[in-house]
Amino acid sequence: MSKEKKIPFVSVKDVAMWYPYHGKSKNKERGEKDWIKAVDGVSIDIERGEILGVIGESGCGKSTLGKILTRLEDPTRGDCLIDGVSTKEMIKKSNKEFRSTVQIVFQNPFDTFTPRDTIEKILLRPLKNYKIGSDDDERRKMCVEALESGGLYPAEDIMKRYPHELSGGQLQRISIIRSMFLNPGFIVADEPVSMLDVSVRADIINMLIDLSKNKGAAVMFISHDIALTRYISEHIAVMYLGRIVEYGTADDVVKNPRHPYTRALISNCASIDPEDKQETISIEGEPPTPLNPGPGCYFAPRCYMACEECYKKYPESIEVGNGHWASCPYAREEM
Amino acid sequence: MEKLLTLENVNVSYVNKEKKVYAVRNVSFSIEKGDSLGIVGESGSGKSTLAMALLRLHNENLTEITGKALFSGKNLLEITQEEMNELRWQDISVVFQKAMNALSPVHRIGEQVEDIYHIHVPQASKKEIEERMIKLLKLVNLPERVYRLYPHEMSGGMLQRVAIAVSLLHDPKLVIFDEATTALDVVTQGQILEEVVQMEKEMDMTRIMITHDMSVVAASCNKVAVLYAGELMEVGYVKDIFKNPMHPYTQGLLNSFPSLKGECEVLHAIPGFLPDLSKPSEGCIFAPRCPHADDRCRREKPVQQTMKDTRQVACWLHQGGEENE
Amino acid sequence: MKKISIKKIWKTIVGDKQLLAGVIGLIVLLILALAAPVFATEDPYHFGKDMLVGLGENGHILGTNHMGQDVYSMIIYGIRTSLRVAVISALISGALGVLIGGVGGFFGGKVDTFVSELINVFMMLPSFFLILLIVAMFGNSITNVMIVIGITTWPSNAKLMRAQALSLRERVFVKSARAMGETKRQILFKYIIPNGIFPVIANTTMGMSNAILTEAGLSFLGLGDPGIISWGQMIYTGKQYITSAWWISAFAGVAIVITVLVFYLLGDGLNHVLDPKYSKKRG
Repeated sequence: MSKEKKIPFVSVKDVAMWYPYHGKSKNKERGEKDWIKAVDGVSIDIERGEILGVIGESGCGKSTLGKILTRLEDPTRGDCLIDGVSTKEMIKKSNKEFRSTVQIVFQNPFDTFTPRDTIEKILLRPLKNYKIGSDDDERRKMCVEALESGGLYPAEDIMKRYPHELSGGQLQRISIIRSMFLNPGFIVADEPVSMLDVSVRADIINMLIDLSKNKGAAVMFISHDIALTRYISEHIAVMYLGRIVEYGTADDVVKNPRHPYTRALISNCASIDPEDKQETISIEGEPPTPLNPGPGCYFAPRCYMACEECYKKYPESIEVGNGHWASCPYAREEM
Repeated sequence: MEKLLTLENVNVSYVNKEKKVYAVRNVSFSIEKGDSLGIVGESGSGKSTLAMALLRLHNENLTEITGKALFSGKNLLEITQEEMNELRWQDISVVFQKAMNALSPVHRIGEQVEDIYHIHVPQASKKEIEERMIKLLKLVNLPERVYRLYPHEMSGGMLQRVAIAVSLLHDPKLVIFDEATTALDVVTQGQILEEVVQMEKEMDMTRIMITHDMSVVAASCNKVAVLYAGELMEVGYVKDIFKNPMHPYTQGLLNSFPSLKGECEVLHAIPGFLPDLSKPSEGCIFAPRCPHADDRCRREKPVQQTMKDTRQVACWLHQGGEENE
Repeated sequence: MKKISIKKIWKTIVGDKQLLAGVIGLIVLLILALAAPVFATEDPYHFGKDMLVGLGENGHILGTNHMGQDVYSMIIYGIRTSLRVAVISALISGALGVLIGGVGGFFGGKVDTFVSELINVFMMLPSFFLILLIVAMFGNSITNVMIVIGITTWPSNAKLMRAQALSLRERVFVKSARAMGETKRQILFKYIIPNGIFPVIANTTMGMSNAILTEAGLSFLGLGDPGIISWGQMIYTGKQYITSAWWISAFAGVAIVITVLVFYLLGDGLNHVLDPKYSKKRG
């Protein structure tokens, strides 16, 4: 990506989500408040037609980030600009305008639709709300076309069904189709395939790729599946305890990780190729709760190459070329 | 090689008032001593049903089982529950997906381990058990102090490791991992899989790994059995099948996984969906979704054929015995 | 919801014995109430010449009271009163409960705190005493009685609905509705209430038996509507003649017991059938 003065399409600016912690506080003076920092200062840009993959383990704040960007939760600080316009302002002015700009695909397709309505009713609702199409007949026709273009046959039959009568893959496609009605510029896909059977995942993935390439939407693909994320995205951001620790093009990050956490993550990722036996880097324990992390590098307590300095100050991000950076003083060193 | 477990025409169906669901149909394969077999399949493939039936943990009133599963001369599907109780832990043990649910929250790990140990060896002393368990904990990279912890003081990955250690208490001949690493994070899963593979080298155990994730099988097993809609599609060595899948379903499944570092090939979904399992199928069960299906596939059920590399494939494309694609 | 097939409903009803008994009882009660003039042997408001006549005498199946009214016919017509009280007060209580509880649970925050406190206050009020007070102040018409029963029994419904709303609020489909830009009102009425109302329906049905009992209690204390025939009133007036003409009170009492039982069975049966945990257990 060129770093000219061009405004990026989606620009996340220092977003943070802190929850107050009311449990027993450890080694703390009284009066000081404890915070669980689910997301702690994330800044990132996404261009039109670009898919950004966000990977990390459970509890790293990647889902919370998705919820903040779609304003299902309000961040403690920070904002997200779309085409230079603050979404905070946008949602204040008109909820509908914001919602038609930013859409989300949820992880659990089986719970995305109310169990009491047919697919027809579910699909017609946003069309009516946004006054798309002139009457119900026209809207119904739009639904049928959309379903068929999403590979859902026979559309007429599917419209009459209830969500529980459809498979996860079908529901997830309907979920994307419904979002598409609003013609959003930015889509957050929060683990959209992790609950689906392997053999139908590709359908959803290809739909998302199609969305970004042909409709020019910016997509944030949140996942814990590294291989899949590499497949779908141009850029990958790796999150650990609420912060992005590494960012770069998908191939750079996966093939040439610079942050020790990313290195460990990728070395432990089981490969589909049985002959691809790699040395695994073992790190101790599991990600802790982000309760008052810092002041040093959040990963330092588990890091196999941490030095004293790492515990004192959060390391600055070091660029290693091609827009690839990592928040680690050893980013330039080979392992 | 000595055969440890041989399945012959195993059928498992769930019966209730209204209908009968054929969850596992005519599955036959065998496991040799020292093997690690991954049973892969998507939801509805019957992989968990099969495991539950082998362990006799299914609901007997709602299930109909036919066929044989010979384990050191005994048919696991026919012996009484008492005999099965004898075998469990001693000879066959299991690790479930959510270990935390299997452990009592109000007792220390050590106390629970003692209880389990005493079921089969009532005369064992506390010290003996502790020593044994601590040795096992080391195998799964856990510190000794875990023995004195409560389950809630540990993370999911630690608990899963404890469950694995507990399953090895009596040196079982066969360990079944039922989606044992599915709920874990990438790093933890990777590490546990490596520990398990390491352990096997030292302990001479046989393992069945039930999972939906092909990469778990690639990383930790030497053999793989692919199930679809309750039927066995292909079984053989991982190195053969992953490199050169013969059954169209296996091919489709492998095409659905992107490679981690290799070339980015275009992903393809398998069109269509799982057939209605309450109807007995005519012909190949995969035929409706298969790109190569012809009339014969839809009419007659393919027979399992043994190939040159000892793998078995149930597909008409490979009926000649040894042909390519 | 409209498309749930009759066959399926029928199957569920037959599958649960309690519900089946309740439904049959309700149908019988409804038929009796609707076709009361057919079943009744006399006009219950007619003061006949036979006073305090015993069972079966002069064609009075269950005898007559001190005013010469036919007890059997009064009981048949009494069903109308009881059902009306039950249904209308339950509707009031259900609607209030669903709305207040739904709003509290869905909106959360300060609204929820207020709603919870309101529920607690109403739950602490001795409702029977409140009813007495209101009837004493505003007169003892049957309408007043129904309204009063309605507005004193909503808290239990509100509690149920609030709990439902609290958990539904976290469900993905509610979040996805928000993400689709639907307004809070749309979400409340299209998602929260339709998905969370079943326990309230079951509870309201059970509440109907309480409403019948409360009405009977009020009438027994002489605070019922004197213009209509109600079982409570029959017991009240029959009390004086309990030694000489026991049938006046006794059969009205039996009628109350049976009706209350029918609604109880219905409510409990619905509870079983609509409880997802219960239906899962049955496979």
